[in-house]
Amino acid sequence: MQILLGPQNPAPNLSQAIETINTDGSIVVITAGWRDSEGETDELREISGHPLEDLMLYQRAEEVFANEPALHDLHRERQKKLTELQRLYRIRLTPTITAARKLMKTRAESELLHLEQRAAISQLRALDSHHLRRIRGIHQKFNLQRAELEVPRALVQRDKVHRLVEKAGVVLIAGGHVAVLLNRIRLFGLDQLLAEKPVIAWSAGAMAMTERIVLFHHSAPHGKRDSELLDAGLGIVRRRVLLPHAGTRLDWRNHKRMALFSRRFSPATCCTLDNGSMIHIDNEQLITSKRSSIVTRTGRKRALTKA
Amino acid sequence: MNTQIENLVGDGTPSAGKIGEFIRANRFPLAEPGHVTFVFQGQADEVNLRRWISGLSTAQAMQALEGTDLWVLRMELPDKSRFEYKFEVVRGGQRDLVLDSLNEVKAHDPFGANSVCQGYGYKRPSWTLQDPEARNGTLSGFQMNSGAFESQRDIQVYLPARFRRSRKYPLLVVHDGADYLRYADFKTVLDNLIHRLEIPAMIVAMTQSPDRLVEYTGDQRHARFIGDELLQELNTKFPLIDSNRARGLMGASLGGVATLHIARQYPHRFGQLLLQSGSFAFSDLGQHQKGPIFDPVVRFVNEYRKNPFALAEKIYMSCGVYESLIYENRSLLPLLQAQGMQVNFEEARDAHNWENWRDRLRNGLSWLYPGPLWMVYE
Repeated sequence: MQILLGPQNPAPNLSQAIETINTDGSIVVITAGWRDSEGETDELREISGHPLEDLMLYQRAEEVFANEPALHDLHRERQKKLTELQRLYRIRLTPTITAARKLMKTRAESELLHLEQRAAISQLRALDSHHLRRIRGIHQKFNLQRAELEVPRALVQRDKVHRLVEKAGVVLIAGGHVAVLLNRIRLFGLDQLLAEKPVIAWSAGAMAMTERIVLFHHSAPHGKRDSELLDAGLGIVRRRVLLPHAGTRLDWRNHKRMALFSRRFSPATCCTLDNGSMIHIDNEQLITSKRSSIVTRTGRKRALTKA
Repeated sequence: MNTQIENLVGDGTPSAGKIGEFIRANRFPLAEPGHVTFVFQGQADEVNLRRWISGLSTAQAMQALEGTDLWVLRMELPDKSRFEYKFEVVRGGQRDLVLDSLNEVKAHDPFGANSVCQGYGYKRPSWTLQDPEARNGTLSGFQMNSGAFESQRDIQVYLPARFRRSRKYPLLVVHDGADYLRYADFKTVLDNLIHRLEIPAMIVAMTQSPDRLVEYTGDQRHARFIGDELLQELNTKFPLIDSNRARGLMGASLGGVATLHIARQYPHRFGQLLLQSGSFAFSDLGQHQKGPIFDPVVRFVNEYRKNPFALAEKIYMSCGVYESLIYENRSLLPLLQAQGMQVNFEEARDAHNWENWRDRLRNGLSWLYPGPLWMVYE
């Protein structure tokens, strides 16, 4: 079971989500996305109304890296490759998405135009798929090389974390830096365990649960930026692209741009997660949804409901 | 005539009390859409507005308001403009340049202070003001021996809040760093932009030349000092990302010339260039008119215009439209773009001053060094 929430500011709804799960077990939380602020969970305890134990994945990872230099080097090497691959992807993404956007805006005989629009979106989707395959290849290679390393201190930490998660009645995953969060979850091999546990995740935490992490900010400080695929997520929440802070980070007045966004990631549904949003999923089925919308093929908002 | 002035004199010569009330009730200069009105109060034979705006005469006479000790001048000014000025007060044949005592907004530079005219709609950006929530980076200094100059050089270094030796950081090298700190609130800007995740936590090395008119005008020694010696020293002392994309160089005015010159001597050593109001003087035919200090600049810029090539991956350029250098900067833009570099050029309704350069830092830095905001969803 997964409950996906929007940002917890200004009006938190975490305690409602915890009530929905109705667990007697302990509650553990992952705040690795907060990086240096990991573990500063006083406010979180207050809004959840429950005692929480932070798994401290970020700090544990720092310790592991300090004690296992070979693993640290391997991790750095992978991150460097991923960063470089992202740069190369952007070189192709910019002209591809520009062409698609122009075709979405232009006027022409509809019979001619629709096919061209569809072809442009297909190219964009093909590029995203290719990028995801390359990323997965880098992760696979990393995993194979890691398996060959003897990293006893890393294994000790991993086992400690696993025991805490296994005992817990529910796992909370806070927002923050989505790449850091995902990396730390992967580093401690939590993918499978999280799939078997009730999870409440918000913002970047919710994004990490999906199959694809899509970065977006249509009004970044240095100007408009095209949305891009960052990585494969944990794949626990399927066929959804989650959009925290959608109200402020997406250009909803530009329906053509939003339509392209929606069609690019179809058949996955693009779901907004703003403050107050709650999406309850069990066995891949939507149970309930509050204050979440989907982005339609025409680039408009429609309330997320059970089909 | 400005409405407030009209109200003041509408019923004839205003009393001293009414003038006092007018002074207390308004912010000066009086800004309205498309115009601004300057007011000087005091006895004088003549008062002139001295402004640092290219394209307009540097001095413009103010008119005495009959029967009062007020002098006024209304001028056209596009909204959101900003420029610096003083009043020239003539008494008994003596001319004194004075700050506008009715305007508390002042800007400072190495030559002193000026009053600041903020046109209608201009607002100082919030990210240039201290944010109590932003964590403070630290400033420290070290001395290094420069073989190129055969002398000791002082370097100031900004380390971001929560700096850790186990991490690797991008680097920015800044010409006239002490001036950027003093006159452009550079540390506050860095703290704020890092706090807002708009730029990454980075290490900033600031140099200050003892003789910038020589060293910044195409001096090979300076290029060697920054491009070789300083970079080596910084790599030894600090954990820096080993990639030219994470390495930038910036400067304003002649500092912009020095930046471009170093990039030409060491192409792609710095992947990011930030050039503010660069004094890129050149000549198409005959002798330039900028004076002998600019001889080496013109030589260098002319050579580059003749044989241009890519210098870096990205260049952010900014220039005020109220400074004469807008011509040189606009001329350089297509040449740089044609070399396949990504060039972002921003024109500001401002002039050749530190606050103009301060106000452009967010756009420049966040474009050259995009921060993790893109990756952060709290």
